[in-house]
Amino acid sequence: MLGYLLKRLIQMALVLWVVSLVVFLMMSFTGDPVFMIVPIDATDAEIAQARRILGLDQSLPVQYWIFITSLLQGDFGQSYVFRQPAMTLILERMPATIEMVVVAMVLAVVVAIPLGVYAGANPNGRLSRMIMAGSLLGISLPGFWVGMVLIYLFAVHWGIFPSSGRGDTAEVFGLRVSLATWDGWHHIALPAITLSLGTMAILLRMTRAGMMEVARQDYMKFARAKGATRHDVLYKHGLKNALIPVVTIFGLQLGDLIAFATITETIFSWPGMGKLLIDSIYRADRPVIVVYLMLVALIFVVINFLVDIVYTLIDPRITLK
Amino acid sequence: MKTLSHTVWRMGALGATLVVATAGASLAQDKSLTIGLTADPSHLYPLAGEELSSNIMYYHLYDPLVARSAELEFGPGLAESWETVNDTTWRFKLREGVTFHNGNAFTASDVVFTVEKARASIRPDLVANIASVTAVDDLTVEITTPKPYAVLPNDLAELLILDEEYTTTTGDEQMDLKPMGTGPYKLEEWIKEERLVLSAFDDYWGGAPRIKTVTFRPITNPATRTAALLTGEVDVVQDLAVRDVDRVRNESGFEVITRPSLLNVVLAMDTRAESPTIEGPNPMVDQRVREAIARAIDVDAINKIVMNGLATPSAQFVPESHLGYVDGMDFRQMYPVDIEKAKALMAEAGFPDGFTMTLDATNNRYVNDAQIAQALASMLAKINVTLNLNIMPKSNFWGYIRVPSDNSSFIMSGWDVPAGDAGSMYAALFYSRDKKEGYGQVNRSSYSNADVDALIDKADSTPDVAERDANLQEATKLLMADIPMIPVHYEQDIYGVREGVMLKPRTDKFLSAFEMDIE
Repeated sequence: MLGYLLKRLIQMALVLWVVSLVVFLMMSFTGDPVFMIVPIDATDAEIAQARRILGLDQSLPVQYWIFITSLLQGDFGQSYVFRQPAMTLILERMPATIEMVVVAMVLAVVVAIPLGVYAGANPNGRLSRMIMAGSLLGISLPGFWVGMVLIYLFAVHWGIFPSSGRGDTAEVFGLRVSLATWDGWHHIALPAITLSLGTMAILLRMTRAGMMEVARQDYMKFARAKGATRHDVLYKHGLKNALIPVVTIFGLQLGDLIAFATITETIFSWPGMGKLLIDSIYRADRPVIVVYLMLVALIFVVINFLVDIVYTLIDPRITLK
Repeated sequence: MKTLSHTVWRMGALGATLVVATAGASLAQDKSLTIGLTADPSHLYPLAGEELSSNIMYYHLYDPLVARSAELEFGPGLAESWETVNDTTWRFKLREGVTFHNGNAFTASDVVFTVEKARASIRPDLVANIASVTAVDDLTVEITTPKPYAVLPNDLAELLILDEEYTTTTGDEQMDLKPMGTGPYKLEEWIKEERLVLSAFDDYWGGAPRIKTVTFRPITNPATRTAALLTGEVDVVQDLAVRDVDRVRNESGFEVITRPSLLNVVLAMDTRAESPTIEGPNPMVDQRVREAIARAIDVDAINKIVMNGLATPSAQFVPESHLGYVDGMDFRQMYPVDIEKAKALMAEAGFPDGFTMTLDATNNRYVNDAQIAQALASMLAKINVTLNLNIMPKSNFWGYIRVPSDNSSFIMSGWDVPAGDAGSMYAALFYSRDKKEGYGQVNRSSYSNADVDALIDKADSTPDVAERDANLQEATKLLMADIPMIPVHYEQDIYGVREGVMLKPRTDKFLSAFEMDIE
């Protein structure tokens, strides 16, 4: 286990380094950030001054060297646009995103797993076919469209939910949390549903496929013959064995939603960090983009690690080496 | 025990009712307003950078020496009056009894400090026309310009005055989060990307603001902005989407307010002997070719088809309100759409078979910019000019087209001069390149006309506004005849408001809660 952890840590450092390098190189093609900051009729002297203030007067390798050495000292650099520490910009927007993603993922699991098990156990039932048709819609409908339709129906037409924003929050352990207030729940409902639909559909289909596979196994018939109830057979014997691919996808989706919930955030003007990434790309704000993508890589590595641990809990035959 | 807890509960309930009642009462007295903006401000520190959302906040929090009205008239701001001492020296009498939000008195040393601070910042352009500034006494400053400069007050309308003591102790980075000015509003709360709340500064020198609390919400997605207006979550939205205009107009209880903006979309034509994207000699050296291109572009059709009628065709390079505008002169009447005439001009110039070049344009900077570029390509095809489109996001664009424009022959961009004066635009866009520091730095046409240069020089060396205006008007006439650039249209600023909100849009687009009211 210790060796495994060490190996993972080294891998992680390597991944982060490669990400930083690739992003740095990529950003040299996306235009010169200084022109996004100076006025359009700036003179050469004014541009040179801005370049100096932003540290863009150095060559790219030198800039990268400065970035890496300050990073090792815990300084992640300053946004060109906001003139604030890049890490602060991301971290102050992160809780809102995490909160929305957690609600979306819980919703996805709570709906997808039972429906998937049902559809897998009764592949030819009419209800199963309806569930599967619904899941196809969930996969194929684009999030921005679903979001706009939900806003139109539930906010503009019926006036049940607010169209956008985060609403009231309460402080929990120093973090601002929507889920602690009724108004917060009211605001998070539509974006969380929008965000969850795609994942819900994928998890549902994975669960169903796994269950259909498992249902043919001898141990299922044996468990039934032994006198276990249908519910126990499905959920204890069946689901547990069908769960490995579902957990894998769950992990990937979780990382994906945290990192790139941008579209949902933009549509519901949810104050999360995904919008920051898009804005930064538009404005060629390299420090923010680099730190953001490194953070995303870190999140993925951590989630994958946790998924590996969960494997061993679900299936004791799996060991981490 | 049971009765006790019961009583406590009831007292609590009573307290709650009381709180609700007082909240209701204060609501009735205090007007509040929620405004949906297109983006969260990047800054609250005026020397950290500029974009529209930040500018809007700056003018709520800070004041300039010279105030610019909604209609671009310039009048007293923090300076009560001013006079010229000689051709290059101005004396500003500052307003007495003005305080910053923290109670510090506003004095001449704050002005001196602000100018010096700006010079070392990312915005030295704000003080480019100031040579020196000295405090004569606590409430008088003397500003000298490097050369006679008639429109110094217009420039000063963009320089927002900082509190010397507070700014020095707070530092640049924190100034962005904790602004401190003399403006009509002070910062109450700023939760990034969620809301920015301003509260009235009741000791404001211009009188206590009518609206006591203003909440700005960044709503990037245009459709969501419309939805938030219709559901009553916001009272005002900026940049109502063109396709939602009819929808909001037809809804009872809402109003759509439009006005032409200052942003003139212009097409710059390369006038060098050889141009980067044209094979062989550059046909656009010839004025007749430039005129042919102008005559081939149907601005009314662009307005109707691409802009849904929400653009104003430009008559000149600057709008009517500006110095340098020639009354009665209209580019559209001088060069009406006429394909036959355009073809004849092309033939006369020796290019009956046309030529091929590339148009550089943005796809996320101006309203429907990419579609305009496509429309231009099909219009120019009629006179055998093949336009290849090179369309890119704005983050690439400004560096790509930057003078000396080594990649470009034909560029679509926008230009606005909130200072109300054509001079700075002409100096940057039409003055010969590399002749004078600070002139011709954005001359994308590589245009060079000694007469135009001389007129700009004259305009920039007189302390008399009328004389400046006359010189700039002469320059306008020459430029309209010579066509180094084609003015296309002004975009329309579109606002959606709920009924009862009184909003008179500003020419410079800077929404001001101080100028608004609620019935």
